[in-house]
Amino acid sequence: MTTSSTPLNATLTAYDLWKCYGDSAVVQGINFVLEPGEIVGLLGPNGAGKTTTVGMLYGSVVPSRGFVQFGPWQMPVQGRQARTHMGIVTQEDNLDPDFTVFENLTHFAHHYRIWGQTARQRAGELLDLVNLQDKGKYQIDELSGGMKRRLVLARALLNHPRLVFLDEPTTGLDPDARQDFWRLVLHLKSEGCGVLLTTHYMDEAQRLCDRILLMQQGKVIDEGKPLDLIARVVGREVAEVEGIAPEKLQALADQFGVWTRPFGNATLVTLPLEQPDTLWQQIEALHPLRLARRQANLEDVFLRLTGTLLE
Amino acid sequence: MSVVKRVAATPWGVYSVWWRHFQVYRSTWLVNFLPPISEPIIYLVAFGYGLTPLIGDVLYLDQTVSYPQFIAPGMIAIGVLFQSFFEGAYSSFIRLNFQKTWQALLTAPLSFTDVFLGDWLWAATKGSIAGTLTGLVAVVAGLYALPHLLLSLPLIVLGSLLFGAFGLFVAGLVRKVDQVNVPIFLVIIPMFTLCGTYFPRDTLPRVLQGIAGVLPLAALTDLLRWPMGLPTWWPFSLLWLLVATVIMARLAALRIYPKLFS
Repeated sequence: MTTSSTPLNATLTAYDLWKCYGDSAVVQGINFVLEPGEIVGLLGPNGAGKTTTVGMLYGSVVPSRGFVQFGPWQMPVQGRQARTHMGIVTQEDNLDPDFTVFENLTHFAHHYRIWGQTARQRAGELLDLVNLQDKGKYQIDELSGGMKRRLVLARALLNHPRLVFLDEPTTGLDPDARQDFWRLVLHLKSEGCGVLLTTHYMDEAQRLCDRILLMQQGKVIDEGKPLDLIARVVGREVAEVEGIAPEKLQALADQFGVWTRPFGNATLVTLPLEQPDTLWQQIEALHPLRLARRQANLEDVFLRLTGTLLE
Repeated sequence: MSVVKRVAATPWGVYSVWWRHFQVYRSTWLVNFLPPISEPIIYLVAFGYGLTPLIGDVLYLDQTVSYPQFIAPGMIAIGVLFQSFFEGAYSSFIRLNFQKTWQALLTAPLSFTDVFLGDWLWAATKGSIAGTLTGLVAVVAGLYALPHLLLSLPLIVLGSLLFGAFGLFVAGLVRKVDQVNVPIFLVIIPMFTLCGTYFPRDTLPRVLQGIAGVLPLAALTDLLRWPMGLPTWWPFSLLWLLVATVIMARLAALRIYPKLFS
């Protein structure tokens, strides 16, 4: 699927990307590398600067400082050449309502200099891939939200891209539709395509991403592999405690040298890696109204690092 | 320099964007062909044949011509004006703000200039189709000679480029689609009625004559009436159309660019 006639070093590198609007800096010094076949996630709440960052990566936002290198091309100056090998799924569905599902693909292929039988064949392949093979003659407004997102993805794959940007691809989709979409993202990875995913769903990031950059207020506040990040920042397990004064739990946490934090009606307490049951039993002995023990996740990481929750 | 490179156009890119608009047009060509054919026929019948018994002949540049003959080039100019302006203003506004077609195109290997020129040339194409079809109606009615029409094609294209660019400028200027009505009432309708399309401008009061003469549709109408003779200042009219086209296209690009790239 990602075969290309010329070998291309499809590594994407962002060098010190800044974006300022007037006095406010919405992206502040982002650096990272995305290798082929890797899924990198930009995870952060709404307004963290994820979409602006993605815009700078494919050339629709001009950085105030810094630049992006993709293969031999530098963005945004050589954006057009770079986009020949990129696929972009924007946050909004900008499918062409003037065309049918099939025409949305064949007509868009024209911009990549793919036309005629080649375009029709490619459109057919992609409709099969995204499971819309029966919907070719449909109008865009006859598609469900999930189908539209899959069609936008298919459109982004017309040119056999080496790198795909997915900006909040599953926002507003039901669980089934999200699963369908995830399957496609993993398929891209298996084909050696690099994927940059922005999301504010921690389960999505945890499930799909090889590496995560946690963003807040335009900055990367931490990064790493999802499980490493969780283990390093939070630990392995977390207890959710309700009905016990946070001060009491804080004292207990200090004793064990672990992190605790009130959140909503409950208080989170990290269980130590060594002998987690000892602390657990002590919490149980306090007879809380509700007590739950679960795996630590990226939400906890975010809460610990920023003091806030992902929306 | 880097900005110039970033926005540089390629022939394929411009063509591909134009081609996208053409595909939309082609799928509903019958509907699209109707207004540019029916409008001039209605106008020619209503004004030409309806008003001719009242008006009789018209004195234009010391020549006597029949009223339908006089208004036929005006009809061509109006066809050019309406179709190119409305495509540039309404359709581009919709593609920019509702359908997000521009944004989608910019995810392909296309530059801003590719998309801008593609839209502009498409608006000009629609104006040219309308002008030419109107001209053909005039030819069939015996009001404009076919060789004259063929020689007028460059003028039709130039006028379409100018009013298409004006439409795009409006699309870039307004925030809501209803606001397009403002330039329609302030510029398009006055041009449509006062620029020597339905009557010679010298019947107007002097001040109004001056204003109407400066509006670009006056220059286009005067030039399209070349088979009946040209005013002495005609090279300036042509120059004015060319300059106005360049200025308007530049203004349009400057208004639309910040809507897509921040």
